[in-house]
Amino acid sequence: MLLEADAVSKAFGSFFAVREANLSVDEGEIVGLIGPNGAGKSTFFNCLAGDAVPTSGRIIFASQDMTYAPPEAHARLGIGRTFQVPATFEGMTVLDNVMVGAYLRHPHHNDARECARQIIELTGLKAQTDIAAHSLGTPGRKRLEIARVLATTPRLMLLDESLAGLTPTELQEAIGLVRKIHETGVTIVIVEHIMEVIMTLARRVLAFNQGHVIASGKPEDVVKDEAVIEAYLGRGRHSYRSRSA
Amino acid sequence: MVAATGPHGQSVKKIPALTPTVLLAAGLLLYPLVFSGPFYLDIGVTFLLAAISASAWNIVGGYAGQVSVGHAMFFGLGAYSPLLCYTLFGWAPIAGIPFGIAFSIALAVLIGIPTFRLTGHYFSMATIAVAELIRIYFGTWDLVGAAIGLQGPATARGWWDLTFRSELPYYYIFLAVLAILLCLTSMIERRRFGYYLRAIKAGERAARSLGVSVQQTKIRALALSAAFTSVAGSLYSVKTGFVDPESGFGILVSVQMVIIAALGGAGRLYGPLLGALILIPLQSATNTWFGGGGSGLTFILYGGIIVLIARYEPGGVFELWENVAPRIWRRKHAA
Repeated sequence: MLLEADAVSKAFGSFFAVREANLSVDEGEIVGLIGPNGAGKSTFFNCLAGDAVPTSGRIIFASQDMTYAPPEAHARLGIGRTFQVPATFEGMTVLDNVMVGAYLRHPHHNDARECARQIIELTGLKAQTDIAAHSLGTPGRKRLEIARVLATTPRLMLLDESLAGLTPTELQEAIGLVRKIHETGVTIVIVEHIMEVIMTLARRVLAFNQGHVIASGKPEDVVKDEAVIEAYLGRGRHSYRSRSA
Repeated sequence: MVAATGPHGQSVKKIPALTPTVLLAAGLLLYPLVFSGPFYLDIGVTFLLAAISASAWNIVGGYAGQVSVGHAMFFGLGAYSPLLCYTLFGWAPIAGIPFGIAFSIALAVLIGIPTFRLTGHYFSMATIAVAELIRIYFGTWDLVGAAIGLQGPATARGWWDLTFRSELPYYYIFLAVLAILLCLTSMIERRRFGYYLRAIKAGERAARSLGVSVQQTKIRALALSAAFTSVAGSLYSVKTGFVDPESGFGILVSVQMVIIAALGGAGRLYGPLLGALILIPLQSATNTWFGGGGSGLTFILYGGIIVLIARYEPGGVFELWENVAPRIWRRKHAA
């Protein structure tokens, strides 16, 4: 067991954004988190990444208790995360952005640059290596976000809607990239709205609604689950299913 | 200069990267020989001192983006230490410099731990408050001469007192310190520490997610910056042989560092140097033209510059040049 979240809750005042969520991820898995807007996916995700401290429950990563550890400790132990809105270092070049990540495991300049160049090649950003990050478009930023995390050599990658806002072609390329990363032995937890991504990548899915995990299992089964359909579409509006798919 | 085509088709100037540095070094080394009058020499020394303090500020205020408006606290500690050592023990003032550095680093760590929990304007306001508190306290503390301040040796007892009639030796001492500081800064730029500082400036949350210990990195930057600001203060008091709470800890001292760095380009190696190159002669000129009647004019000048930078070019003159230069170059090339 690589990551285990045990009855994690996160409350803002008296409102529970996440209520007793359980998740266990084995090494080498791709797990998807789905759910309508405001279901608590992102809050749960932030708890896993150390950006939010759970109100109760425990998070164990590689048999270490990470519940109260700060984000930088997560990165050091091998949990990397991307941001839903890319948090690109605007004033720096693409290479420098990736180098910030690479420096975590490679304290020396030349090693870090070498590592960053390899990652940039892998993520298909090679042509943009030396351009300023603020001139990248959305697909470039999403890739850079993934590249930076990858440069920290994570064991577990948390992708927060990293494939949203892409055109169908870009989406296919991005799915290929996630596959490639997975093949190098990185475990992946992915939050996504686009069902195509979840259906093709994830082998196991957790569906959230109003802070609760309402279904989990194989993606094919979860999308047929009555509770999931109801969470997305409400009762008796099955004709709209095709739109969300 | 040879025109070449860059990776994205735009024309770039191909000049060895060292050339500007060499030109700058040569210019600064030769300045006293060309402008040997005491008036110009004084401007040169003032310029170097301003460049040193602003470059020191630049490490934490520019690269790491933590805009401290209280750096006078380190400048003042640096300024008081040599003269205090002289007054209390009769030592050569330069013997007090290490004490100034030590006090400043200790203060930086002490101040950094609570204030770095704040961000943006709140951090700036907290630093102002601390500097002002220290200024007021020094103004009532008899050991350090209270409101009157401290004086250095009137006549040199030996070369080690660094009390010279001419400003020329000061010019070269200051220049050496500036060179050391800029070398160090350019080394930092190319190391992990420098990358982490820029990452913190660009986005703390993202930096943390990549394993940057934000708090610790900021405190290290502040300590380094404080050490050099303290040296600048020491150089000032050793040269003038006098310091009082206003000239050591006054808010104008802090504001000057911020303005010079921002004017030239905060977070750029030569930004503060460029800012000092513009501001100091301008300041001397206004002081000379308007004489004693224009003593408040410095503030008006500062205010005007703040407005102009904030409104038109937050990246400073350096960035302005980088944006404008390629356009001029292209136009010339097309013609």
